[in-house]
Amino acid sequence: MAKRERRIIGFLCNWCSYGGADTAGVSRLQYPTDLRVLRVPCSGRVNPLLVVKAFAEGADGVLVSGCHPGDCHYVEGNYYARRRLELLKRLLPFMGIEPGRFEYTWVSSSEGQRWQKVATEFTEEIHRLGPFEGWEEEGDR
Amino acid sequence: MIDRLREAVREKLQELDLVIGYGEGYDPLHATPVFIQKPEEVDRLIWNPLCVHNLATYLYELRGKRVGVVVKGCDSRSVLQLLNEGLIKREEIYIFGIPCDGVIDLRKVAQKVDIYRVKEVSWQKDAFTAKTDRGEVSLGLEEVLQDKCRGCPYPTPVIHDFLAKDPVKPKGEGEGLLEQVSELEELSPQERLAYWRKELERCIRCYACRNACPLCVCQDFCAAEARDPHWIPLRDRVKEKWMWQMLHVLHLAGRCTGCGECERACPMGIPLLRIRAKVNKELKELFDYEAGVKEGVRPPLLTYQVSEPKIEERQW
Amino acid sequence: MKDGVKFLEEGALEGLLRRLSERARVWVPVEATPGVVLWRPWREGEKVRLDRQGTEPPKHVLFPRSETLLRIYEKEELKIEEVMPQGPSVIFGARPCDVRGFEVFDQVFGEEDPYYSVRRRETTILTVLCTEPERTCFCTTVGGGPLEEKGSDVTLLWIEGGWLAQAVTERGEEVLRDEAFVEASREQIEKGEQRKEAVKLDPVVDLSGIPEKFLESFTSDFWRRVTAKCISCGACTFLCPTCYCFNITDERTPEGAERLRSWDACMFYHYTLEASGHNPRPTKAERYRNRIGHKFSYHPSNYGTYGCTGCGRCIKYCPVGMDVREILRELKEYAEG
Repeated sequence: MAKRERRIIGFLCNWCSYGGADTAGVSRLQYPTDLRVLRVPCSGRVNPLLVVKAFAEGADGVLVSGCHPGDCHYVEGNYYARRRLELLKRLLPFMGIEPGRFEYTWVSSSEGQRWQKVATEFTEEIHRLGPFEGWEEEGDR
Repeated sequence: MIDRLREAVREKLQELDLVIGYGEGYDPLHATPVFIQKPEEVDRLIWNPLCVHNLATYLYELRGKRVGVVVKGCDSRSVLQLLNEGLIKREEIYIFGIPCDGVIDLRKVAQKVDIYRVKEVSWQKDAFTAKTDRGEVSLGLEEVLQDKCRGCPYPTPVIHDFLAKDPVKPKGEGEGLLEQVSELEELSPQERLAYWRKELERCIRCYACRNACPLCVCQDFCAAEARDPHWIPLRDRVKEKWMWQMLHVLHLAGRCTGCGECERACPMGIPLLRIRAKVNKELKELFDYEAGVKEGVRPPLLTYQVSEPKIEERQW
Repeated sequence: MKDGVKFLEEGALEGLLRRLSERARVWVPVEATPGVVLWRPWREGEKVRLDRQGTEPPKHVLFPRSETLLRIYEKEELKIEEVMPQGPSVIFGARPCDVRGFEVFDQVFGEEDPYYSVRRRETTILTVLCTEPERTCFCTTVGGGPLEEKGSDVTLLWIEGGWLAQAVTERGEEVLRDEAFVEASREQIEKGEQRKEAVKLDPVVDLSGIPEKFLESFTSDFWRRVTAKCISCGACTFLCPTCYCFNITDERTPEGAERLRSWDACMFYHYTLEASGHNPRPTKAERYRNRIGHKFSYHPSNYGTYGCTGCGRCIKYCPVGMDVREILRELKEYAEG
């Protein structure tokens, strides 16, 4: 993609997803560089407001990735995350953030290829949706 | 009916520190909360479709006192939710329940009559007449009831110690609020964003919506006003106002009982209730959950299931 | 009353606003959503609501809800840039109570607040006089009146078909030179006089002695009792024409930072929260007491006029119907012990 990079934030849990991204890197798997990773201890740590704040500050897309349900390093963090983030995923389009801009998923630390797939598909989707210009006001620079 | 209520309050007043009910407001179109402490004040209590306030909003700040409170069906759900969350104690409250046929939305009335110049109001069956210097306007209650009242699923208080009249049957399954939600769901995402930008732009961050909410008990320490972490800048742009509503609604997820006080309190007429109605609709669909209808139920976001049958996950 | 009385026909309003917009930012009351009238910059085709008091006063024209005082740039070199207000404004369609609100601002901000005073100096105010007070209006109780001219540049009085216009200041005379204003006929002037004579708004309480009565009541249980139903939001403060309190905060930006001045309200917990964590106004009783004390005791003692214009917005838009008139009545009757 020779276009300008989109602003995409990824909240990756330290144990599984970050490890998965690491595995992808070690295996030299290529994927778009738009997505900037924020490492969190667990997907359950992701306060839905962090996602909301990212969109309020102009993010074009936000992805949350954690351990597969049942494999959470902290046993149950991702169970809570699944409920919160599913609700958020349904609420955001209602409030003006198009479906597709926010996704949550599960990637384990050995799934380098899966991470490559997720990051690539998500980035492509955000490019397809275009930049989020919802907050622009008259008189903005 | 009002006599039965007054009698019950008069009797119970001896065991209580105070009773919160509805009294006459500053003009014929407004009721107001009254705080009754002496028997001679009991006759101030009234009941009519202008009694819109959710008096449960005062319960948290009065904890430690023995408080009687007059509630409609929707208000009683707030009381039950406060109890479920352990924010108030059952033995400290006495609930005077009023089965309700609906309350008035003054914004709808304002479209037919100048609500700031009404001198007199008289009630008929299913209608009322408002008199100004320019003449009289009669309005059928049906056309000016709040949206939440249409299809009200819980018109009779779900928890009470005393019921002022016979229970009222459910009017439906919440069609009024569901329609508010589906109206927006039918728009395209771009139309929806334009809609919220237009509506939220009027917000002045007065926090009337927050303070009127019975479940918002953190008011003095609200995350929206915190400097550390500083969630919301003090700037006056739409994105800040959007962020405030998202914060409020997410903090209320699983706790909001759909009483609509937030929208009623908003001086700018922003349609806030439908955001909360959307969250409540999703929670019902996902987890078969409604706040404040059953005792002892844990809010859905404070628990989980190992397998979630209703959550369909994105495939890559 | 400098020049003679002029008449502005309803149909000529659009043209007048257009011409005024060529030289200034014209602020008008607009129905932003049914039942809510807000002050917005005039745009072609905008429907102006001059027939009622706005939901909000035009306060934010001279005192924005949030304004940038400084910008700080950190990226290449450290640079600090002052942001000063620019350009003249016209407030078209204020009410006498809105104008009295600016009088209070003048008393407090004076010439020393560079942001307020620059805007104030460059603002022209055309006021619509009130011929039909609302049930919550009480301007005459606090020293104002529905036909008060003081503080306006031009007054407008509605009679059928348009407004009678009169200049109050030299700036107002200049405005009346616009082609939209024609000589008023004798019948029109008489109609106007009749209208004015028919306006009736008696004071609802005699406020003499209130500043002292307030101080007497300070430590009593009176305030806990009368604030029982208050929910301590900021609606009354933010919609009040005279409330002027603000907060100065620094906020991060992509380039560095900004220093903002934003509205604050004494109804909020944080307003009097001290760095130690102590809060001298811990509950709504103390905070509401401060609101009444400020407007009806401290301000009159310092400046000679009440810090309230009697517009009634705090009554109308209070979610629970707190009525300041009622509280003043009770305060008047308040006796110690």
